[in-house]
Amino acid sequence: MTPLLQVEDLTKHFPVHGGFLRKSTSKVHAVDGVSFTLAEGETLALVGESGCGKSTTGRLALRLLEATSGRVIFRGHELGSLDEAGLRAARSAMQIVFQDPYGSLNPRMTVGQMLEEPLMLHGLAAGRRRERVAEILGLVGLAPQHARRYAHEFSGGQRQRIGIARAIAVEPRLIVCDEPVSALDVSIQAQVVNLLRDLQRRLGLAYLFIAHDLAVVKHIADRVAVMYLGRIVEIAGKRELFARPRHPYTQALLSAIPVPVPGLRRQRVVLQGDVPSSIDPAPGCRFRSRCPHARERCAVEEPSLASEENHGVACHFWKEIAPPAALLPSAATAPANERLERLQSAFTQGASP
Amino acid sequence: MVRAVDGVSFTLEPGRTLGIVGESGCGKSVTALSIMGLVSKPGRIAAGEILFEGEDLLKVPPARMRAVRGDRISMIFQEPMTSLNPAFTIGDQIVEGIRKHRGIGPGEARRQAIEMLERVRMPSPERRFDDHPHRLSGGMRQRAMIAMALALRPKLLIADEPTTALDVTIQAQILELMRMLRDETGTAIILITHDLGVVAELAQDVAVMYAGRIVEKAPVEALFAEPQHPYTIGLLASIPRLHLEQARLPAIEGQVPDPLALPTGCRFRPRCPFAGAKCVEDPALEPLAVRHEAACWYAPLDANGARAA
Repeated sequence: MTPLLQVEDLTKHFPVHGGFLRKSTSKVHAVDGVSFTLAEGETLALVGESGCGKSTTGRLALRLLEATSGRVIFRGHELGSLDEAGLRAARSAMQIVFQDPYGSLNPRMTVGQMLEEPLMLHGLAAGRRRERVAEILGLVGLAPQHARRYAHEFSGGQRQRIGIARAIAVEPRLIVCDEPVSALDVSIQAQVVNLLRDLQRRLGLAYLFIAHDLAVVKHIADRVAVMYLGRIVEIAGKRELFARPRHPYTQALLSAIPVPVPGLRRQRVVLQGDVPSSIDPAPGCRFRSRCPHARERCAVEEPSLASEENHGVACHFWKEIAPPAALLPSAATAPANERLERLQSAFTQGASP
Repeated sequence: MVRAVDGVSFTLEPGRTLGIVGESGCGKSVTALSIMGLVSKPGRIAAGEILFEGEDLLKVPPARMRAVRGDRISMIFQEPMTSLNPAFTIGDQIVEGIRKHRGIGPGEARRQAIEMLERVRMPSPERRFDDHPHRLSGGMRQRAMIAMALALRPKLLIADEPTTALDVTIQAQILELMRMLRDETGTAIILITHDLGVVAELAQDVAVMYAGRIVEKAPVEALFAEPQHPYTIGLLASIPRLHLEQARLPAIEGQVPDPLALPTGCRFRPRCPFAGAKCVEDPALEPLAVRHEAACWYAPLDANGARAA
């Protein structure tokens, strides 16, 4: 079966202007040779820290940014080869939800107008539009009368629902979710995460889910790609990745997550220093300046993503590095609390007798 | 008039860390600013007292409060660029505080500032001393701000979302640094955060705030293992857990009430699945176990959420 989305060797360099006559002398290597596929109805999470290129990758996949090189193939068509009409047709099937719902909603339009606009552009008759708007609002847990209101009249969580409503209005197959719950409070975050999962099941959507919160990713993703300085360093199914992280960066990332279990015993891999600059990176492995396992070879030869049983790792020595134990809580270190579980299920099921 | 913080009481012993958690608008930051005497107009502290080493800070005249701030109580913020002056070097900003409060010469102040930068594990501290804030990475700025806050060895450090703006690997470094400095210096910390993971890593006691009130207070282990207030129960349920397979996240339905239109009685009542007849009246914090208090008429709930009579 052909995948819904196929990204091949995607690269984006931004020129840096500076110095005499503001000549461009160096380049930010924002995304450097990224490849992955995404199937219909699947969720692939792109995770990593600021500046790793995860958001740029999302925008390149939608061709909201032009890639320096590489190919994006959506439903069998290469986006770069499509003319304007073809690209517009493809775009209705690929949508994006942003982190900041307020910044991405027009303050001068009512919610109804915002949702009708894409329907109009995609040729839905005027009479049907209002009905469809009410239907979409229902799908995201809002009421038909919300169509008459403006974005500022809503809370953060409701605004994100509107952002999602706008994305699903034209019945896309793929939604790039760029940190969709990062700006929300935890109790609201859970509502929006549940909504995204419900919509995926009902509408058969595929998500490219860009996030830095690994607990949310663990909950929502099918597969996870970890990025560091513009490259995918590890990609695997989520259970495999969280249970057996093989790249030293993934191991450090997982061990750094603050876990809501006081007094938890776990192994720490604390990285020294900061992420280096992505301007003209030196040859070799980009993680070597912070890697506890770096050797000579890492400075000269850049590791490529080697795959074994659907688990890809970009590290020369990943087979020699023993996967650390107890990076994350387990049933043994964070035992179940029966009273709390029953209380919490009573909490979600509503009032007690 | 908005009552951003309404009848909040807590105590903090020397050297301990109290985490104040809650969602946006619950009043956790306003509580911190009140202690610092930094509530900006038209906001004001309408009532209450803040006893610091036995003295009511609300009665201290502004000039002397300036001497207390930075010296005996200091604060670090989420975004270091809001508290670091972009026009001065990191070193100048640390030295300024030391000289103002301690009245020592520039050479000695410089020596102390560099020593402080070393203690916060700033890479090449002598060189960074002469750098302006924009030359530093986010993690290094946070270290510089912590150095500035701890330079005078305050008794109390208020940390308002100190790691929220940082990436997770840098966050781990800063949390480790704060733990180490706390153990070394015996500084008490009020840690304000929305992140229950950060609370579990650093705090010894926790106060949970909702809509301007503290709804539950407990030692950290008890709060996570035996939460008593329905809001705490819901909040803990709604965070995705790394070691569990969850089909749905138990969400708290509805949203935080508008501070201009707070519900009467218990403020969590409209979102509370356990609410009953008594909740139309305002519950006070009541002790349920040793050092464990909750403001709920029906606490402790039995394991099925059934209300005790």
